[in-house]
Amino acid sequence: MITLTHFLVVSACLFCIGLYAVLAKRNAIMILVGIEFIINAAILNLVAFGRYDKINYGGQIFALFAIVLAAAAVAVGLAIILNVYRKYNTINPENITDLRD
Amino acid sequence: MSSLLNISPVFGSILVVLLPFLAFLVQTLLGKRGKSGNISLIAILLSTILSFGFVFLEIWNQNPISSNYAWFSIGTKTFNIGILLNNLTVLMQLIVCIIALPVHIYSKSYMKGDPGIHRYWMYLSLFCFAMLGLTTSNNLLMMYIFWELVGFASYLLIGFWFTKESAVQANKKAFIINRIGDLGFLLGIASVYSIYGSLNLVELFGEDGLIHHLAPASEGWMTFAGICFFLGAMAKSAQFPLHVWLPDAMEGPTAVSSLIHAATMVAAGVFLLSSVFPLFNETVLLIITIIGCITALIAAYFALAQRDIKRILAFSTISQLGFMIVAIGIGAWDAAMFHLATHAFFKCLLFLAAGAVIHEMVHLKDANHLDIDPQDINNMGGLRKWMPKTFILMLIASLALAGFPLTSGFLSKDAILISAFEWGVHHGAAYLLIPLTLTIVSILTAFYIGRLIFKVFFGEFRLKAEKIHIHEASLNMLGPMTFLAVCSFFFVFSWNPLAYHHAFILGGFDLNYSYSELHSLHIILPIVLTLGSVIAWSLGWNWYVKEKYPLNGNNKWLELSLNQGYLNELYQKLFVNSSLGLSRGLYWFDKNIIDGLVNLLGSITRGLGQLSAWVDTYLVDGLVNTIGGTTYYIGHLLRWVQNGRLQNYLGFAFTVVLIGIIYLILK
Repeated sequence: MITLTHFLVVSACLFCIGLYAVLAKRNAIMILVGIEFIINAAILNLVAFGRYDKINYGGQIFALFAIVLAAAAVAVGLAIILNVYRKYNTINPENITDLRD
Repeated sequence: MSSLLNISPVFGSILVVLLPFLAFLVQTLLGKRGKSGNISLIAILLSTILSFGFVFLEIWNQNPISSNYAWFSIGTKTFNIGILLNNLTVLMQLIVCIIALPVHIYSKSYMKGDPGIHRYWMYLSLFCFAMLGLTTSNNLLMMYIFWELVGFASYLLIGFWFTKESAVQANKKAFIINRIGDLGFLLGIASVYSIYGSLNLVELFGEDGLIHHLAPASEGWMTFAGICFFLGAMAKSAQFPLHVWLPDAMEGPTAVSSLIHAATMVAAGVFLLSSVFPLFNETVLLIITIIGCITALIAAYFALAQRDIKRILAFSTISQLGFMIVAIGIGAWDAAMFHLATHAFFKCLLFLAAGAVIHEMVHLKDANHLDIDPQDINNMGGLRKWMPKTFILMLIASLALAGFPLTSGFLSKDAILISAFEWGVHHGAAYLLIPLTLTIVSILTAFYIGRLIFKVFFGEFRLKAEKIHIHEASLNMLGPMTFLAVCSFFFVFSWNPLAYHHAFILGGFDLNYSYSELHSLHIILPIVLTLGSVIAWSLGWNWYVKEKYPLNGNNKWLELSLNQGYLNELYQKLFVNSSLGLSRGLYWFDKNIIDGLVNLLGSITRGLGQLSAWVDTYLVDGLVNTIGGTTYYIGHLLRWVQNGRLQNYLGFAFTVVLIGIIYLILK
């Protein structure tokens, strides 16, 4: 039987993959993808824990809410990347170091 | 108008001195525009008129006047500048003026066209100022200042043609030798001051001067002071062995030689000795006599074989100065001043005439492009034909120099010689050598001046030139010469042509000799001298005009005379070379020992400096740098954290969160 632990493991895996993508990818799009992974890991957790709230389905509602927010965040993220590309002619985060002193 | 002409003698005398100085200043300011020399000429003309009309005539045989003006004080002693007018000083001032005036006029045409003529007038006025000031100074300090100034003016004028190496050498020589004398003079002044405490001539030597009242200092001191003064006079008046500068001084323009190096400046020594005469004791007087006698003899000897017309005259000047010095030595300084006066005129004339001859020879040389020395008498001869007036004028001067009767030289030379004989007889046997030598010298004088006249004006012209354009000197030159020639006759100085006693100059000084008069001498000696001179001239006539020259030209004695007794070479070896050697030695000492010490100290200091620099660099700076470097390294270690990469930041943040979680778990 699929227990809560299985969900949490998958979620942890997703989170790790997402984290790896965010930290190690040399392409801003892939980082965005990594962020999606992390968000989805979080959503998966929300849904998994949602079974303890069978009256209000707070977890599932919150998951939907988070998906919408994630979509909006992706849109904003893509817009940022586009602007970054316009400015730096690259979307490799290695090459964008303006934040340093 | 009458008040204008009423110039007091003192004021007149000051004007006499200051006018040439004014001319000097104006000439200096005018610079190259002052070529005509009119300013100098007018100044000396006015000086002459003032000197004669308002000073000489007022003071001569009157009471002396002295005027003082406090100049500066040292401690309680006040030093004055002032004018002293007595027979001696006004006579000297008048002589200087009267000689300077014709020389100025003569120079106008003699120096015409010279590129440095503006300097010439400037120097000439400076000289006149200094010389006139020297004559009327009333204290020794002031006299010393003017003494230096005449020396300096003489230096400038000897080196007037300073592009000529020989002229530069000559003026250097004159200057250096005169320094020796100046040192003597200065020491003399110092001695007098330390003995008597005054430098004022009136206070010292006047009627009731210190020298008559104060108990004389020790004999040694007085001798020392006397010798010092004489040393000063020796250098200025070209006495043996310091005479060597005068022949070389002939490098200057001839007009200058006639004024400075024949008539006035070189006589300043005689004037000085006359001024301070009471100072000398027996020993000093004897030394003066001997030196004067030696000078007279050797200079006459050197004059015998010289070839340069001006050098003959220069040696003749030295010889005649020797006469004057002897006269001072025997106490007859009035005779010395008398000879100074007569000598000034005829010697100046001789130089001016020689200048006229040289002038023509230079023109001849330039016209024919010859390579000759225009002053060499061996190149001349027979000039009488072309320059009869110059010939007659020079003849008159030569007769005066040789001491023929009717000339002024006859009187003054007799005055000296007869006094010398009387002195010699008074003192006894060995002292007679002096007058005898002087007798021989005056016959030699007649001979060498005869030789000059015969070689230059008689016989045939010796140069083989195509165009012989020799003509009489211009009127500007003949005029002054004629004036001087007139002054070379007896009547200017005395109405009696044969006896010197009536000369007004001797009357003016009225000196009492310490020895008795010998009447027979006054008749015999002039006859002997005149006969001797006549014989010398006829000998010269035979030798040089009839060309029956009996001597070998390369005779050892003639060589010795021509080379001035090798004195110059001796001095070169003895003094110049040894000075050079000494200075080379000192230079070595300076370079190796003194500089070596300094350099050693320097390098020690440098070593210390290097050591402390090392300490500073490696220990002090090292410590600071280590601290700084460490800080920098730590900073550097942390710096890469802030690298601007989002992913890294995120990674750190995650790591910290992870660490936090691990911490929470493990707690």
